[in-house]
Amino acid sequence: MFKKFSSEEVSAQNQVKASVQRKIRQSIAEEYPGLEPVIDDLLPKKSPLIVAKCQNHLNVVLVNNVPLFFNIRDGPYMPTLRLLHQYPNVMKKLQVDRGAIKFVLAGANIMCPGLTSPGGALDDDVAEETPVAIMAEGKQHALAIGFTKMSAKDIRAINKGIGVDNMHYLNDGLWKTERLD
Amino acid sequence: MAEKPQPVQVLYCGVCGLPAEYCEFGPDFEKCKPWLIQNAPDVYPDLLKEANAKETDKVSDQLQSTSISAGGGSSTSKPEEVKRLPGGKIKKKDKQEVIIEKVVRNKRKCITTVKGLELFGVKLSDASKKLGKKFATGASVVKGPTEKEQIDVQGDISYDIVEFITDTWHDVPEAAIFFIEDGKKVPAV
Ligand SMILES: [Zn+2]
Repeated sequence: MFKKFSSEEVSAQNQVKASVQRKIRQSIAEEYPGLEPVIDDLLPKKSPLIVAKCQNHLNVVLVNNVPLFFNIRDGPYMPTLRLLHQYPNVMKKLQVDRGAIKFVLAGANIMCPGLTSPGGALDDDVAEETPVAIMAEGKQHALAIGFTKMSAKDIRAINKGIGVDNMHYLNDGLWKTERLD
Repeated sequence: MAEKPQPVQVLYCGVCGLPAEYCEFGPDFEKCKPWLIQNAPDVYPDLLKEANAKETDKVSDQLQSTSISAGGGSSTSKPEEVKRLPGGKIKKKDKQEVIIEKVVRNKRKCITTVKGLELFGVKLSDASKKLGKKFATGASVVKGPTEKEQIDVQGDISYDIVEFITDTWHDVPEAAIFFIEDGKKVPAV
């Protein structure tokens, strides 16, 4: 999705109304309870919240020009990888085996066998249509943000096809966009 | 109420920008290697061994008379050579200095550029904000000609910027600050 993302993709960038700002804060805090204690630092009430509207119904939430979250249409907000790296435990984690790393970093969606092989790991609590952190065998930090197409249990049982959509990964356009001015 | 989690500091590669552990999957691992040996030796312990092996090979090449028997010796790396790079040189770090230059734009307008603060662990966005506030002017972080980020401050503030830098960021010694004047680098003190 962010393969070629850059500031040129932004069609409108607006400061949102206080009521919208409250709603965004609330849904982020609900989706990621682990972020609640720091939400005032991340999205200070007094700093304006900017939402950049981009192609394909993508929205990027900015504070001081730094992309922090994104979502599609009214879907759940997901943190950028740079933010997730700072607060790694706020998302559920799935782990791909080492062999899958280069495909994920090329933007490929995550196939079930990469998660079920000995190098992979699944958290059985993960439901379908859930934002997850994609970790990798032998690595400490997340390499992608995913959105599950099936529950972890189905990934294990079906073990075929795409298990998780790759939303955002290291070195994609959003990763390279440290600031959006 | 849950305890406030402290943000994790991730070591990002100075060359490709990825977390250091992902350099091996990055666009050009070879280019990252010197930086990794310097800054993240524990992430890729093999790199050091590799560097050592080359080092030992080189030594054994020089001692031609024993080259055959030395071949077996190259696999046992000596600990004292650990910090060396291929070629036996100990690589110098990026020189830690701050460079201030006044650039004149349309006759009377000028900007003052500040380069190198990041080498002292200063966050540039933060520094730019502080500079803008202190000198009541516009300041921004921009990508410089060499792809490195620098801070542009509007107006000629070179007269008291040195004091401000050393007062604000105690890690930056006065001796590490230089001006560019008439194309020459002169120390600020
Ligand atoms: Zn690198």
